[in-house]
Amino acid sequence: MEHFPYLLAAYSIIFVLIALYVIFLQSRQARLRNRIRAAEARLARLDETVARRPRDAASS
Amino acid sequence: MGAFGALLRKDLRLELRAGETVLTLIGLSILILVAIVFAFNPVGGAQDAATAAGALWVAMIFAGTAGATQALAAERENGCLRALLVSPLDRALLFFAKMTADLVFIAVGQTVAVIILVLFFNLDFDRRLAAMALPLALGIIGFAALTTLLAGIAGRLRAGALLLPLLAVPLFVPALIAGVKASALALAGAPLADRLIWFKILVAFDVLFTSAGYMLFESVVTEG
Amino acid sequence: MARSLSVLGRLLTVLLMLTAIFMVFAWVPNEAEQGLVQRIFYFHVACAWVAFAAFALVAVGGIFFLWLGQTVFDDLAYAAAETGMLFCTLVLITGSIWAKPIWGTWWTWDSRLTTTLILWMLYGGYLLLRALSEPTPQIARFAAVFGIVAAADVPVIIVSVRLWRTIHPAVIVTREGTHGLEDPRMVITLLVSLAAFTALLVWFLTLRMAMLRDADRLQTLMRNIALAEAALED
Repeated sequence: MEHFPYLLAAYSIIFVLIALYVIFLQSRQARLRNRIRAAEARLARLDETVARRPRDAASS
Repeated sequence: MGAFGALLRKDLRLELRAGETVLTLIGLSILILVAIVFAFNPVGGAQDAATAAGALWVAMIFAGTAGATQALAAERENGCLRALLVSPLDRALLFFAKMTADLVFIAVGQTVAVIILVLFFNLDFDRRLAAMALPLALGIIGFAALTTLLAGIAGRLRAGALLLPLLAVPLFVPALIAGVKASALALAGAPLADRLIWFKILVAFDVLFTSAGYMLFESVVTEG
Repeated sequence: MARSLSVLGRLLTVLLMLTAIFMVFAWVPNEAEQGLVQRIFYFHVACAWVAFAAFALVAVGGIFFLWLGQTVFDDLAYAAAETGMLFCTLVLITGSIWAKPIWGTWWTWDSRLTTTLILWMLYGGYLLLRALSEPTPQIARFAAVFGIVAAADVPVIIVSVRLWRTIHPAVIVTREGTHGLEDPRMVITLLVSLAAFTALLVWFLTLRMAMLRDADRLQTLMRNIALAEAALED
């Protein structure tokens, strides 16, 4: 069992770093998706207002 | 050739008027040489040839990148590059003119640095020092090509001044290794045959980056 | 279709990785000279292979982007640089951990170590360039140029570093030649590890490229919102 700590350390670091990277990617991806959804909703609302406005102006 | 001459004259004239780039280069070179003398406390002479050669090249890369950033900032301020880019000039021509101007600035800075090196490291103005001219010249050519190409990138960014050395120094590593080795061997009085292999690497580096600049400068400077 | 393909890909990656781990820890025999610690070698080499493949992809993506101008190639280059950086970091760390018991030191300026370190700095610079700048087409072209130039510089770096080390007196006698994989199980373990990491690379690349596409989409959306708001103002 000589040098076993080295072996353990090497493989732990590989898996910890890869796992951290995956978690980092997933969270960034989720945040990006949320922001896209929010932006899409906001754009839809804005488009609606823009489309409704000429009618409002005509009626007043 | 006429356009090339005009472009080069423009850069050199601007520099003569302000003198900013060359002064930055010289000032930083002196500072780096002093810092290295303090750090390594060299005895001087032939036994410190390696330290002396290393000091000179370190001064070149750091003063050189600072000089290139400085030149680019000046360029951006007076809007010269933008004006040149809307002109129908060949981009490759623009690259070679800028590279030559850069080369002249670094060469002037390095000449001053070599004189100071002789004083600080207790060297002599002899054949050994003259033998160092060739690796230095080859290194300056490669470095000028590299910084001219990269300054086109870094000049457009807010963090450009910080980024330029971070991008340039790792790319310059082969020329740095070869240049320091060849210079140290020259200062130690080694025969030419020992230095030949390093010259080959320096020439390969120069050819690589000059042709890369020639081919890719257009993509770097084109707007939009 | 694309979704089930990606699920299948992930499944395959995880399966390959688990097999590789099992082989490294339970199946492959000990190497005679270096013993247990030699088992680092399988994943170390796999990381190195993936890192270098990714760095090559940075240049390939850059060339195609400059040539055809399609964003997907720029996304590929960016994703490859980031993934390559992760695996290059792993190569340096696992190499150090392996070197300590075998060579007696964490770091030596051996030619391979030095070259890997310089690569790490090169692509670290690339990523800093991308992180510190707005995602405009011009920056994408700059990055492509840097990626191409960096890859072209690699052979010169390798030659110069090797000469620098051989002409310099070596502090420690390196034993690079001792990876004699005398048992066929060692070769199989290495091959499975290589396959597992290649699958991991493909997975990370597709994930990262999808994110870059999303980021692009968000930018377009924000621009449209700004336009619509400006239209409302007047």
